[in-house]
Amino acid sequence: MIGHFPLMIVYSSLVALFLSLLWQSEKKGRIRLFLQVFLGMVLGGLAMAWLMYPFPSGPPAPFP
Amino acid sequence: MKEATRDRRQPAEIALALVAGWLIPGAGHFLLGRRRLGLAFLTIVAIMIALGVGLAGELYAFDSPDRLSKLGALAEASLGVPYLVLELGLRYEGKIREVGYSYGTAFLLTAGLMNILLLLDVYDRAVGRKE
Repeated sequence: MIGHFPLMIVYSSLVALFLSLLWQSEKKGRIRLFLQVFLGMVLGGLAMAWLMYPFPSGPPAPFP
Repeated sequence: MKEATRDRRQPAEIALALVAGWLIPGAGHFLLGRRRLGLAFLTIVAIMIALGVGLAGELYAFDSPDRLSKLGALAEASLGVPYLVLELGLRYEGKIREVGYSYGTAFLLTAGLMNILLLLDVYDRAVGRKE
């Protein structure tokens, strides 16, 4: 099992690549959209993690 | 308003591209002549599926009593052949006790949703709304 952050990087890369290929037809536009989506997801995820840091995680959820 | 000036395909050709695109992600683009794009989409979706299964993510079934699970099944069934192979061929379900279960489920769900977007894109290209 690889860590949370590498998984987030892989997931964000694949989604950003997919959307840039789907929504843009020129190379420059694709690179720009890729960076926007990728950085938005990664930096947004880090920002959310930072905002949630003061809150305790609480007891683990029971298995169903 | 910009008019659709590109070629509009025959209804049978559109239907074939949509069915092919549902069965094999990227195949619709391939049939419409966008071969490199189709292969790129196939590769991306295949990596998403492989990671999802590798991390033991859940493959939702339609017979689940939970409504959200049915939505999940709808999203993942959009993968076409890969879903059928995993669900019916390999009887794959995922393992909730695995550490990567949640991540794997996210990868599998996203792969299915990607193929829905691909089908919409195939339709737009086939009717001439998009080049």
